[in-house]
Order: sequence, then C-alpha cells, then structure tokens
Amino acid sequence: MTEPFLSIRDLRKAFGSFVAVHDVTIDIPKGEFLTFLGPSGSGKSTTLYAIAGFQHPTSGDVLLEGRSLLSVPSHKRNIGMVFQRYTLFQHLTVAENVAFPLRVRRRPDAEVKRKVAEMLSLVRLESFGTRYPGALSGGQQQRVALARALAYDPPILLMDEPLSALDKKLREEIQAEIRRIHRETGVTILYVTHDQDEALHLSDHIALFRDGRIEQIGTGEDLYLRPASEFVASFIGNSNFLPAEHLETVNGSATIRLADGSVVSGVRIDQDFSHGQKTRLMVRPEAFRLRPGPATAGLAVEFIDTAFFGERRRVIARTAAGQEIDVRPTSDMAEAQEGIAPSRQQIFFDPAAAFLFPA
Amino acid sequence: MSGNLLHRPPILRGPDGIGGALPALILIILFFVVPVVALLLRSVTEPVPGLQNYATLFGHGTYARVFFNTFLVATVVTAVTVIVAFPVAWMLAIMPPALGSIVFGIIILSMWTNLLTRTYAWMVLLQRTGVINRTLMDIGLISEPLPLINNLTGVTIGMVYIMLPFMILPLVGTLCAIDPMTLRAAALCGASPFDAFRRILLPLSLPGIAAGGLMVFVMSLGYFVTPTLLGGTSNMMLAGMIAQMIQSLLNWGLGSAAAFILLLVTMALYALQLRLVGAKRMTGGI
Repeated sequence: MTEPFLSIRDLRKAFGSFVAVHDVTIDIPKGEFLTFLGPSGSGKSTTLYAIAGFQHPTSGDVLLEGRSLLSVPSHKRNIGMVFQRYTLFQHLTVAENVAFPLRVRRRPDAEVKRKVAEMLSLVRLESFGTRYPGALSGGQQQRVALARALAYDPPILLMDEPLSALDKKLREEIQAEIRRIHRETGVTILYVTHDQDEALHLSDHIALFRDGRIEQIGTGEDLYLRPASEFVASFIGNSNFLPAEHLETVNGSATIRLADGSVVSGVRIDQDFSHGQKTRLMVRPEAFRLRPGPATAGLAVEFIDTAFFGERRRVIARTAAGQEIDVRPTSDMAEAQEGIAPSRQQIFFDPAAAFLFPA
Repeated sequence: MSGNLLHRPPILRGPDGIGGALPALILIILFFVVPVVALLLRSVTEPVPGLQNYATLFGHGTYARVFFNTFLVATVVTAVTVIVAFPVAWMLAIMPPALGSIVFGIIILSMWTNLLTRTYAWMVLLQRTGVINRTLMDIGLISEPLPLINNLTGVTIGMVYIMLPFMILPLVGTLCAIDPMTLRAAALCGASPFDAFRRILLPLSLPGIAAGGLMVFVMSLGYFVTPTLLGGTSNMMLAGMIAQMIQSLLNWGLGSAAAFILLLVTMALYALQLRLVGAKRMTGGI
C-alpha cells in the first residue's frame, strides 16, 4: 500500500485527568472528504485542532506525506481552515480577506489579484470584493472564509462545524457549494460536525467519534446499513431498539424471543451471544412493511398516531409489550392510506435487515 | 466621551421635553458655560481690550517653548503609554476572568491612590541617590547616577505611570471584543505572530487605542502636579505656566488666553477623533 496522505497515529490528548482523545489512528488518502461525526465532547474537534496546531497532543503523531507536523507552528503548516464562528478580518474588505494569506506569503501583486478573482468566482461572490464582512450575511461570510482558506492552495482543508450558525435552507445551499468546491479543487477535506445529515450528504467517509474514540469509520452506507454498535445505530438515522432474549445461533443467523413472547429467527449477527443473553434488536423505522413478504417476521402493534411528511408517512405504534416504536413504511400511498387507521394489527420486517446488540 | 448619550431612545427623554431637564441645564450653563465665556472674555479684555494676550503668547520665544514642550511631553507620554498599556491590556483580555479581575483591581487601586503621594514616591525612586540609581550602580551597570529627574525622562516616567489606567481600560474593552478565533484564523492563513499582530490585532484595536490615546493626550496637555514636581523649571508645561501667570504674576488675561488655547486644542483633537473613528465605523463595521 502507498504512503497515506495524512496520517493520524495513536493521537492522545489529555486535559489533566480528562482524556479528550484516546489513541485515535486514521489514514486519510489524498482528495478524500472525511467527516468527524459525533456528539459534543466526543473528541472530534480536539483531533481537528491537533491537526491545525492549536492544541499539542499528549502523545501520538500527525504526519502529512510522511513528515510529522507536530513541531511545525500553525502558521507554517500550510493548512486551510473554516471555523464555526465568523472569523473574517472585520477591518479588511472581502478581497483583502481572501488576499491575506497570499500577502503574508509575500506573493507578487499580479498573482494575488488573479488568485483573489479566481477564489471569489469559485465561491460565487465575484461582485462582493469591495464590501466589508459586516455588510455580508452569515452564509456569504462563510463562503468568503472558504475562499480565504483555499486561496493558497492548501493540501488540506479543515472545517469545524462551519454551517452550525446558519439556518437550515442556507445550510443545504452551502453544503452543495462545499461538495462542488471539493469536486472542482480536489482538496482533501476534514470536516467536523455533530449533524448526521450533514455528514451523510457531504462525505466520502465518516469517522464516528464517541468519548474520544472512533466508534466506526466507513462510508455513510456502511454506518447506516452495517452499524458496528448500538451507539452507531442510534446516532446515524433513526432506530427502534426492541428488548429481546437470545435463544440460539446457527451459521451466523440468530433466533431470539421478543418481549411480547414472539420468536424471530434469521437475525444476522457478527458477534457471539450466549443462550438467554439479554439483547436489543434494532429495526430501522423504514424497514417495517405493512404487508408480509417472503421471510418477514410479524410484530403485533397498535397504531396510535400518524403524521404525513410528504414523501412518507410516520406512524407511532405501540407493541404488545407496551413500547412505542417509530414506523415509516416505504410503500405506495394507496397501501399506506388503506393500512393506517388507528387499530391493532401486524407489521412486518425482514430479520436479515435487523441487528442484534448486547443490552 | 459621551456623545452617544444624546442619541437615547425617546422613552428615556424627559416626559415633558425640555422642561424636565431645566434644572440640569441651568446647572450646566452656570458652572460650565459661564466660566468658559468669562475665561474667553478675560483673555481679550485684560489688561486692555484686544488680542494682545494671544499675540504675546504666540510671538514670544519663551511661551513658544512652553507650548512646544507641552505638546512634546503629551506626545511622548501618549506614545509610551500606548506601548506599555498594550501588552497589559492584552494580558488582561486573555487571562482567566478570575485572575484578570484581580489584576484589574490592582490597576484601579493605583488610580485611587492619592496623586501627590504617587508623584512624591517617584521622586524618591528617581532622584540621584534614589533606589533606581543606587541599585543600578550597586550591580555595576552604571558608574554615574542617571539623570532621571528634573527633566523630560522624569516627567515621562511619572506621567505614563499615572496615565496607564486611562489607556488600559478602553483598550481592554476593544481587545475583549476581538474573537481569539480571528487570530487563530490569521495563524492558519500563514501569518507569523508578528504579521498577525501588525495586520490583524493592531488594526482591530485601533478604536481603543484612539479613545485611550486621546484621553491620555488631552489629560497630559493640561497636567500640573507631575510635570511640576518631576520636571523642574526648565521643562515647564502649559499648566505650570498658567499657574505662574496667575499666582505669581497676577496676569489673569495672559493666563486665560493660555487656558483658552489649551481648550481649543483639546476640542479640535476630540472633533478629529470623532471624525476618524466615526468614519471608520461607517466603512469598516468595527
């Protein structure tokens, strides 16, 4: 295998007795869009700051093309960064902000001018060069910040929750912008967010952080369809967790008993459970069907509330054991409307698309 | 300093317009406007009507020297105060708040200590046989006592010390308003600490420097006690000269003219600052 572009090795950061990052190791290929996803305090920002040079790791290393960055001060790392808060220089115009990294690098005027024009057109703010940041909307300010961060062609772009201060519509607009810029420039992006939708929309790969460790790293699809733990399953997408008792496993296919006494077989598992072990069965809301299919298991529920969301319908149902679950059947409208009256009935799911986790 | 107070929302104005403000207005006219007008009148009427007092002040080499000296001291004091105050203000801005308020308290406490006491303390420290000269000679850095008193050096040291809080306070306000992330952004953009200071921190703190600088400059122009005690006779400043004109020479006309010139210069500087900082606000959004 070739040398990874950016490599984080056994990175550890402790603040006194509190360990914010536990021996995190990731290899990131060139041109990758990797998102650090996780709840606040999970160590994702600390890891990013260690790459930026704002925080010195307790141990471990950060290597760019095989060379350690740790002894390099921030201003010599040649890394681009967009911050959570607006960090434009308020006393400089938009064009001067974008030119700033080139000016401190003492680049010739002609090059600065050309590059600023190029960057402003990349973020589609060509006509805003002479404005001051104070006269720009939040979304425009973050686009200028993006242009500033990319002006010196950094090999890596760090983004620390850059959209968290924006409203939903603007967020989506700038997400599209970021994807386009990633495509056009080929820059390696490390993106930090606590928003799973943002992570799924934007990234090639997602590293899901929990308590300073990487819980799982993979594509959005990997994390959604093959969650490594209950934490991953609950953080990415919506999930229902049904208490269950493990009965037996034959050839990686488990048989379990749910709380209402019904027995389900054919649950795919990748770990060992003992007989009688308490477990939790995860079923995605959209994995439920209103009609039985081949090899589906049935679940007796009572529909207690339904809401219409346009593309799909959301149903709150109560199991026979009294647990409320979230059901979003993917089926045609006619079936959905016919099937969803507040009533006792059976819903169905494919046990092979459900996951079993230890309780 | 309080130009903005006039732009209060209507609700804060008196319920019946000017009527409610009348007592305060009378007070201001009686104790501020009337004396200034009286001052102006005296300067053009005593001892005989005419502008001869001003002609004397502008035409005489001795007075010109005092004016020059006054502006020189005020300029040097302001410059040195800015240079000394900036690191202190920066430290206060980035310190943990608990520690910061202790340091802040110490600075304020020094402001509350009697001015005369502090100036006499400097005399003890700075004189030929004072603590500073003796220490420097003891450790062998100098063989002759440095002339630290009765000259510009003494005045500058003493006045910078007294003016520091007036510079630090507005500067801390400005610096605290700067997001530390802005400086991190500058660093990642490739700015060395010096570049970040010169191109980002300094321009962003300019409003605070302007406000504090104007305050210090204006206060220095009219300062009396410290220049008189630490400066000696050859470094007389305007306030000292006015005192001498009125107390020793009983020349009220000349003293009033000098005081009026000082007032005009002060007002001109204030207007200039309003213009500069105000204009900056309009374009820079600071």
